[in-house]
Amino acid sequence: MQLKLSHLASAFLIAASLSTSANAQVVQVDTAHGIYYEAPLRSHMFVYSPSVTLTANPTDSVSIYGGWEADIVSGASVSTKAGPAYAATHPSLTPDVISAATNLTDFRNVGKGGFTIKHDNTSFGGGGLYSSENDYHSISFNVMARTELFEHNTQLQLDYAHNFDDVCDTVQNPNALPVARVALPSSKGCFTDDKTKTTRDISIDSLQGSWSQAWTPVFQTQAIYTLSVIHGFQSDPYRSVLIGEGVKAQEYTPLDRMRQAVALRANWYLRGFKGAMRLGLRGYRDSWNIYSGEVNLEIEKYFGPSFRAAINGRFYKQSGAIFWSDDYSGGNAPLGPKGQYFTGDRELSPFWSVMAGVKLTWAFVAGDKKVLGFMNNFRFVAAANLIDFNYENFTLAGTPVNGTFAYLLNLGLSAGF
Amino acid sequence: MKKNAFLFFGLLALLFTSAACVTVRPQERAVLADPVMQFEGDPIIANQLHHAIDNREGSFGGSGVAGGGCGCN
Repeated sequence: MQLKLSHLASAFLIAASLSTSANAQVVQVDTAHGIYYEAPLRSHMFVYSPSVTLTANPTDSVSIYGGWEADIVSGASVSTKAGPAYAATHPSLTPDVISAATNLTDFRNVGKGGFTIKHDNTSFGGGGLYSSENDYHSISFNVMARTELFEHNTQLQLDYAHNFDDVCDTVQNPNALPVARVALPSSKGCFTDDKTKTTRDISIDSLQGSWSQAWTPVFQTQAIYTLSVIHGFQSDPYRSVLIGEGVKAQEYTPLDRMRQAVALRANWYLRGFKGAMRLGLRGYRDSWNIYSGEVNLEIEKYFGPSFRAAINGRFYKQSGAIFWSDDYSGGNAPLGPKGQYFTGDRELSPFWSVMAGVKLTWAFVAGDKKVLGFMNNFRFVAAANLIDFNYENFTLAGTPVNGTFAYLLNLGLSAGF
Repeated sequence: MKKNAFLFFGLLALLFTSAACVTVRPQERAVLADPVMQFEGDPIIANQLHHAIDNREGSFGGSGVAGGGCGCN
C-alpha cells in the first residue's frame, strides 16, 4: 500500500512539473470525512468514512486523479432473523434473537485513480479502483464519454463500469440444499488459505446515460438512466433465517438481479433570493420486484460572496422484494414462505424514510491575490442530515423496528494550487 | 407495450430536438456556472452520502456507476 502511495505521489509530481503555465491551477486536493450512526434496537452501527483525492492538470486538456477512501465500521448485526409467528410459539426466543446480534468491526480500504482527456467539446475518461474489507474484495474499472452540443447548452454523457467482486463464505457441502447451508460465523480466515473459508464471485455491469440541458440563463435540467446487472452471491453470508421448526439456514437470494433507475433533476436560480432551488425525482425497479420512488428538494442561499447555506429534504418509499417475508416459518400474509428464497435483510423489506439536513459552505476563489497567499481556491463544507427509517413489516422476532434514526455528519475541505 | 415505447421515445426525441432551439448565449451562462447550480455541487460529500444511503436501501442509481464494496455489513 505504501509503495502504491509513493507511486501515486510521484505521478502527481511529474504531472505538476509538466504544467505548461505557471499561473494555471495544477493540483486540487479534496478531503472529506463522514460519520454515519444508527441505533435500531441494539445495533449501534457506527461508520467513519475518510477520503482524500488529488487531481492534477498537467495540461489544459488532461486531468488525472488518484485517491483513497475508507469505511471504519463498528456495531452489531442480527445473525439470526425470526419473525412474529415463530416467536409466538417460542416465547423465550425474542430476547435471544435480539441479543444474538453479533458485534462486528470492519475496515474497508479503497484505492482509486483515473484520467480525463478533453478535446474541444468532447471528453473521454477512465479509471479503476480496488476495494478491500475483511470479507469482501472488489476490483472495478469505469469509462466515460461526454460531449457538449448547441453552444454548450446540451451535455450528453455515457458511463460504464464493471466490477469483479469476491465475497467470503464458509465452505458448504456441495450437495446440500439451500435450506441446509450454514452461515459464515466470522470473517476470521477470509481470503487466506483457511480450508473452512471460500470465496463467491459477484460480477456487476453498470451503464448510465445522462442528458443535461440549459433551458434559460437560470434554469437547467438533467435526466439520467441507470442500468445495473448483477450476477453472483448477493446474500449476507453471516445471516441465518429461521425457516421452520428448529430449522435455520444461511440467507438464500437469487443469483441474478437487474436494476433500473430514472432520475430527473431541475436547478432553478432565484435572482431576488440570491440562491437556487434544486428538485430531484427518482423512480426505480428491479427484477426482484422492488419498486421505489424518491423526491429531493434543496434550497441554497448566498449570505455574502463567500458563505452559503442550504437546507434539504428527502422522502423515499420502496416496496419489498417479491420473496421477502418477515417470517418464513408460517403465519398469515405478509408472513409465510415466498417461494424458494429467504432473506432477513431489512433493505429488501417494504419501508419508507424521511431525511432532512443542512449544509454550510465557505468558498474562496483567488482574485488579484491568492487565497492566504498560496491557494487558487479554498472550500470548506459541513453537512448534517437525519434519516428516519420506518419499516412497515420488518420485525426482530415480532418486535417492530420503527423510528430508526440515522445521523450523518460530513465535512469537506478542498484547496487548489 | 410497443405503442407506449413509441410514444415514450417520440416524446424524448421531440424534447431533445427542442433543445436545439434553446439559445443561452455564452455571456448569459454566468449563473449556470455558479456552484449552487451544479447537479453535484460537492461531489465528494455527495458521494459519501449516496454510499451511506444506497447501502441501506433496496434501490440505487442516478448518481454514478463507479464504486466497490459496501463497508456496511
